[in-house]
Amino acid sequence: MRAGARRDALVLLGLALYAAPFFWQALTSLRPDAELLPLARLWPSGLTLAHYDVVFRQSLMPRALVNSLGIALLSTLLAVVLGALAAYALARLPVRGRGLILLGMIAATAFPQIATVSPLYLMMRAFGLRDTWLALILADASFTLPLVIWLLAGFIREIPPALEEAAGVDGAGRLATLRWVVLPLVAPGMASAGLLAFLFSWNEFLFAYSFTATEASRTVPVALALFPGVFEVPWGDIAAASLLASLPPILIVVAFQRFLVRGLLAGALRE
Amino acid sequence: MTRRPARAVLLGLPVLLLTLIVGGCGERATSGAPVTLVFKHAKILGPADPVPGLLRRFEALHPGVRVQSEALTWSSDEQHQFYVINLEGGSPPFDVMMLDVIWVPEFARAGWILDLTNFVPPAERDAHFPTAIEPALREGRLWALPWFMNVGLLYYRTDLLAKYGFRPPETHDELIRQVRRIREGERDPRLDGFLWQGKQYEGGMVNVLEALWANGARLLDDAGRPFPEPDRARESLAFLRGLIESGVSPGWVTAGDEELTRRPFGDGRAIFLRSWPYALDLFELPASPVRGKVGVAPLPRLPHGEAGAGSTGGAHLAVSARTRHRALAVELVRFLTSDAAQRAMTESAALRPSRPSLYRDATLVARDPSLPALLELMRRGRPRPITPYYLMLSTTLQPEFSAVLVGRKSPERAMRDASAQVEHMRRAIAP
Amino acid sequence: MSDRRLSWLFLAPALLVLGGLTVYPAVWVLWLSLQYRIPVFSISRWAGLEHYAFLAVDTRFWNAAWVTAAFTLVSVALECILGLAIALALRGQRRWRQAAVALLLLAWALPSVVTAKMFEWLYHPSGGLVNFLLGGRTINWLGDPALALPALIAADVWRTTPFVALLCYARLLTIPPDLYEAGQVDGAAGWQAFARITWPLVRPILFVALLFRTLDALRAFDLMFVLTGGGPAGSTETLTVYAYRALFQTLQVGFGSAIGVVVFALVMLVAVAYLRLMNQQERAG
Repeated sequence: MRAGARRDALVLLGLALYAAPFFWQALTSLRPDAELLPLARLWPSGLTLAHYDVVFRQSLMPRALVNSLGIALLSTLLAVVLGALAAYALARLPVRGRGLILLGMIAATAFPQIATVSPLYLMMRAFGLRDTWLALILADASFTLPLVIWLLAGFIREIPPALEEAAGVDGAGRLATLRWVVLPLVAPGMASAGLLAFLFSWNEFLFAYSFTATEASRTVPVALALFPGVFEVPWGDIAAASLLASLPPILIVVAFQRFLVRGLLAGALRE
Repeated sequence: MTRRPARAVLLGLPVLLLTLIVGGCGERATSGAPVTLVFKHAKILGPADPVPGLLRRFEALHPGVRVQSEALTWSSDEQHQFYVINLEGGSPPFDVMMLDVIWVPEFARAGWILDLTNFVPPAERDAHFPTAIEPALREGRLWALPWFMNVGLLYYRTDLLAKYGFRPPETHDELIRQVRRIREGERDPRLDGFLWQGKQYEGGMVNVLEALWANGARLLDDAGRPFPEPDRARESLAFLRGLIESGVSPGWVTAGDEELTRRPFGDGRAIFLRSWPYALDLFELPASPVRGKVGVAPLPRLPHGEAGAGSTGGAHLAVSARTRHRALAVELVRFLTSDAAQRAMTESAALRPSRPSLYRDATLVARDPSLPALLELMRRGRPRPITPYYLMLSTTLQPEFSAVLVGRKSPERAMRDASAQVEHMRRAIAP
Repeated sequence: MSDRRLSWLFLAPALLVLGGLTVYPAVWVLWLSLQYRIPVFSISRWAGLEHYAFLAVDTRFWNAAWVTAAFTLVSVALECILGLAIALALRGQRRWRQAAVALLLLAWALPSVVTAKMFEWLYHPSGGLVNFLLGGRTINWLGDPALALPALIAADVWRTTPFVALLCYARLLTIPPDLYEAGQVDGAAGWQAFARITWPLVRPILFVALLFRTLDALRAFDLMFVLTGGGPAGSTETLTVYAYRALFQTLQVGFGSAIGVVVFALVMLVAVAYLRLMNQQERAG
């Protein structure tokens, strides 16, 4: 089996090389300013935390991180709660025009953001929601809702109807069945959908760039894109900010991989 | 089994809604001082920041008034976006704002800034450069006061030109010849000829406009139609592209902005540089490799135009139309643009005033001997097209001109496409 | 409460959000595209099909369409090939599977802005790793009109291949090993095993991945906007970037909406075409 272990190690190394751009950025965030331009050597003579210091003390990233976290959590909550209810209705309850609604959901996942951004901008402007959290929470949730409903409807359908019927026989009403039978079983699916929704909201750029104006609501991607450089571009600081911006995605990929993969595959395979 | 699922749902939804509303509402901190004016401006670069001192002086003159200074982001585009989003919203959280001169007609047309005509006596208005006041006028009314002034000019290496017996070039042909001769003589492959800003941004637009003006061409005629002198315009564009093709300018000027072009010249690696006055202070710093070796001259001309057709620039101060403290805000604007304030700004920062009289002031000239020369240049400078739609125009035309500079389009095609775009824009603006 | 009423109670909030924030704007943008609309100057007038008539002869529009098409086709093709290759390599993985998938998914999970900044630094003429590894050359990847689009495509392929790889990998895992053993008995090994057994089984999922990726590539905005801004000289300006500039830089909401509608129509057309093709394939067996 030594050949097998060697092969596995090679594949692992290959994938580590694939992720090399990210590790390079991490190294850049620790590289002293003097050694950034021009690049003379691969490994810097010393590592420094100066860039992180600048990012935390002098940039808008800390506030942007708070904004992103709040907006992503709330929009995920909104999408999952509304999505779960709608998914249950579509999967289990009598709905007229169910096929049409489901078709609409699929179509909605293909809507280009660039097409809806102008009317949404005018809408946010009319309601005075520009530069607020609520604007992005609503926009992000509306964008992820179709996918969440689609995913959860599929997961709910996987639960054998017999279980719910059994609960019904025991005297539980619809809501009780939902709460005590369906929800626990679909919870992993909800986690998957929630992770995808969170990831989308955290990474979302177009709506955030168009609807925000100040650090009151600027999210991390926007803060990173607009990272200030007075004279020259501060590549080291940007790298540090990039690393911070990547923390939740990394966490999800490493710690919640199983849920993430399940969500990704379910979304694609259920065509 | 359970008894409370319905209640859970009923409780859950309002909590959800509440969280959303509380989380979603953007809070705006309100100050508790008696009268607070909020002054929004970009950070002034240079050895010292004169603004805080000036604001404290204003506060001393007006007891009970506090001026809160808020910095804008560095990039001009972002500043503009910030202003648009906040001013469009209806209740902007600032009273006095610093505007790039090209935005004043736009903001006036949009109704976002206050008409200052009745607050500013004609004598005060006339104390500024006419080319600084002109862009702030719309339909005969005054909408902003000039704060500091810029003009495009030619930097050259006095030592290199003297070595080969040259005087600052009057025509671009001369400039090209000088570059060739000097590079031949110096035999330094890293010595660039002529650096200018060709990146696709407002600065690039300025460079193109200056090339047009240098050849006696305009971007728009009085009716707003593009390229009234098409042959000369075509020549100008071909000239710019030619600089790169012939190697007089390095290829990377098409990605060059003010700072990217200033540094090589400041390190002694270029003969000529087109830039703004701010760079001179940096070239004269003690540690600068080109200290004492830099001269300023009017921009050279092309066959059909005049020399010295540099673009003017700079910042103006305006009052938000929605301010609750009109008189005080206007007072602040007049104070900051006054002779005394501009004098303080000239002394402590890399800024040039918009008042001609200061360029001949003995004390100021003693500190900065380049002022009289700059006065001449400022006088010959030209404003960019004064129209509320300038920014729209510029962002529409930048890609076309950029395509010429990188050699992707011929000048003819670029001008044709640019004209079509301008026509389409005009159909929207004026039926 | 009756099931029927409950179903509407459950559906209502989601439908409300979707109706208001997705469906309504989709219709509204169509309406906007027929207007001259510049909110900053309070211009609001009927334009009819003027914007579309202009787009039909606008060289910048056709350039953007070409860039979008080239970007989509090349990107998606590379992703599918590379993704399948990675999936095949990953298939035999016994140890460290989670770590391997984590390394793979990292590229996909990063925010597009982070990826853009990352590659902007990698492509830097004097500070970038790419030029360093090429022996200290100073190639201006993002400043040369001929190189910018390939550079952009490379960044996008890096970012999205993991998705395709994951899909193929999951499918490959479901192929029972006895199929290969049976094939080996017949004398098929290596390339033949791939062509006869693996490919027919993985092709449908690759097709699905192709659909998703094509739709995503047509709608892509973040990467090109932050990495190159559509430059130099429009060589990386896709339809989405053109639309954005028209909307938020020149503030022409009517005109920008028209370009957005074109992207919308394009995406829908491609989706419908793919689904038809897939139905045909399924029926053919």
